[in-house]
Amino acid sequence: MIKGWTGKRLQIDLRRQKAWSEDIPISDLQQWIGGRGLNAIYFTQHFTTPVSPSSPENPVAFAVGPVSGTLAPCSGWTSIASFSPLSKPTSYGFTRMPGYFGASLKGSGYDQMILHGKADRPVYLWIDDGRVRFEDADHLWGKETTETTVAIQEEKEDRGIEVLCIGPAGEKQIPLANVIHRLSWTGDYLGLGYLLGVKNVKAIAIRGKKEISLHDPKQFLNLCLTLKDHILRDRKMQKMKEGGRFSFLSREGERMLREGEGWLLPGAARQWSNNLRSYLSSKEGCFSCPVHCGRNLQHQESHIGGIHLEKAWYFGPQMGIYHGEWTLRLHRLCQSQGLDPYLTSSLLVRIMDGMELDYLSKEDQRQIEGIEDRGEKAFSILQRMIEGWKGAYLPSPPPAENQELDVLADIISFCLIVVKHLNLKTLSNMIDLIHASTGFSLSQEELKDRVNRILRLESHLINLLFPKENPETYLRRKEDHLHEPIAQWTAA
Amino acid sequence: MSAISIIPERCTGCQSCEMVCSLSHDDSCSPAFSRIRIKKWEEISTFMPIVCQQCEKAPCITICPAGARKRIPETNAVVTDEKRCVGCKSCLYVCPYSAPAIHPLTQRTMTCDLCGGSPLCTQVCTTGALTYVPEGDLSIERKKVFGKVFLQAVRSG
Repeated sequence: MIKGWTGKRLQIDLRRQKAWSEDIPISDLQQWIGGRGLNAIYFTQHFTTPVSPSSPENPVAFAVGPVSGTLAPCSGWTSIASFSPLSKPTSYGFTRMPGYFGASLKGSGYDQMILHGKADRPVYLWIDDGRVRFEDADHLWGKETTETTVAIQEEKEDRGIEVLCIGPAGEKQIPLANVIHRLSWTGDYLGLGYLLGVKNVKAIAIRGKKEISLHDPKQFLNLCLTLKDHILRDRKMQKMKEGGRFSFLSREGERMLREGEGWLLPGAARQWSNNLRSYLSSKEGCFSCPVHCGRNLQHQESHIGGIHLEKAWYFGPQMGIYHGEWTLRLHRLCQSQGLDPYLTSSLLVRIMDGMELDYLSKEDQRQIEGIEDRGEKAFSILQRMIEGWKGAYLPSPPPAENQELDVLADIISFCLIVVKHLNLKTLSNMIDLIHASTGFSLSQEELKDRVNRILRLESHLINLLFPKENPETYLRRKEDHLHEPIAQWTAA
Repeated sequence: MSAISIIPERCTGCQSCEMVCSLSHDDSCSPAFSRIRIKKWEEISTFMPIVCQQCEKAPCITICPAGARKRIPETNAVVTDEKRCVGCKSCLYVCPYSAPAIHPLTQRTMTCDLCGGSPLCTQVCTTGALTYVPEGDLSIERKKVFGKVFLQAVRSG
């Protein structure tokens, strides 16, 4: 019996409204560990040319790692991959999402979930203890994300359900659209809201409470407790635990200053952060996390979900907005509409600086010209943009730094922030955790080698090109044979 | 005697307690195997850990027709004797906290056994929502919170 992993892949065909489970070979699990690795190998095995993101044939893959859904600290992340609408020309894109979704997916008995096809009417997926049902979502269509989350939970009479949903932006198939999970977490830089919107999937609701059995439970328990102590002893982590990611605000401001954003005044930034702090209420954390770096927002007596430093920063000083209230309102609008905060922010900056005016009608442009306050201006542009989306320019995601650590975190669904802060100290911890969880032992070199192979797979996928003779040919499946270099790698 | 103190305002619903409970008692991770359960209402950011309060006048002991619910003198924990339990679920209905749960495999009830005197859930909870404190100090944290609110009210006139 497989331990740690579940060894199952959930395939969902939206067009035929059918779902089935298939086995993932143990050799694949040992070779690609999980999460981002599983997604990369799935796409490599099935695609030789990119698929248009607007076509129903474009699959969306969610995957988790061998310690996901367990006590392992900070193991609540989910890897997501698809052909992204944000890249031109279309290419493979992947992202990661913090929160509780991955743990619930694992608790449903799956390491990976893949959505195919397109539903002929709005649906939401209801995955209860591993069984999939396609529920009608006509009554949810047009609802904002918080409403949708609560409505589904009320409908199923269980507030413990984890819901991942798109907002009106995703329904309108705006490429900047995102998914929202638990009112706070997002899978950024992929256009995931657009991808689900194309598939007519309003939400994915999961209740997964199946047991995850482990190879050596006693050792696993000890390792988790030790790693938790190790994380909490770290000074940066302590700071993050006390003040959330917001405790790094001043430092972040200094870094931006060094990078030459001359118009940024440290005094104004400090004022902004103090202003914003007055809206922060309780702590917010991912599944099984000892740090809890997120903070909840309270605005005029009402709770409006969680916020993390980066998102706040992108709607604040990054855009030249120094009024906390506007940061909050922009963040709230993005959250309720289901928009990617980072990409929306960079697009807004370009519009405000007059670089991209095609998004607005002449009438809109005239009305906005009169607004002095940068925050108010951004807010009203964003509102108009959502109303009538038109535009071609899309900001492309920034290249990732320190890719090896990214992959390392993603293959076992670990928190990127923790892995990056603790650096390679966690490499041995990861190997021990994987061993205690699955019984599969590998050396540091072997793990590093796997990381490099995944990077190679991904760069191969990203560089896939549409065939020259017929650029609109979408799907090229090759079920029977592997691409040659990959065949060599898997054989090794 | 010590008891588990719960401060729901500090709970973020991270489920570490559920994971450590199921892992230490049943060698696998699952909320369904846990003796402590988190209830959540994320739109108002409210989370509530529910665990056996080891009542002094425990209704589950009185109602159990099989005499399976008993108190362990060393820890003061009220637990189910699996050999005697018939799985009638009476304790589920009579408990004011609805704390007992049905073990998915044995179909007997299970409640917190305080891990024999050092509850692991209180060790993994880093927000301070769960702590294991002597019974005399149980409400001390809540008193502190109330004290702060009261002082603020007095100062602001």
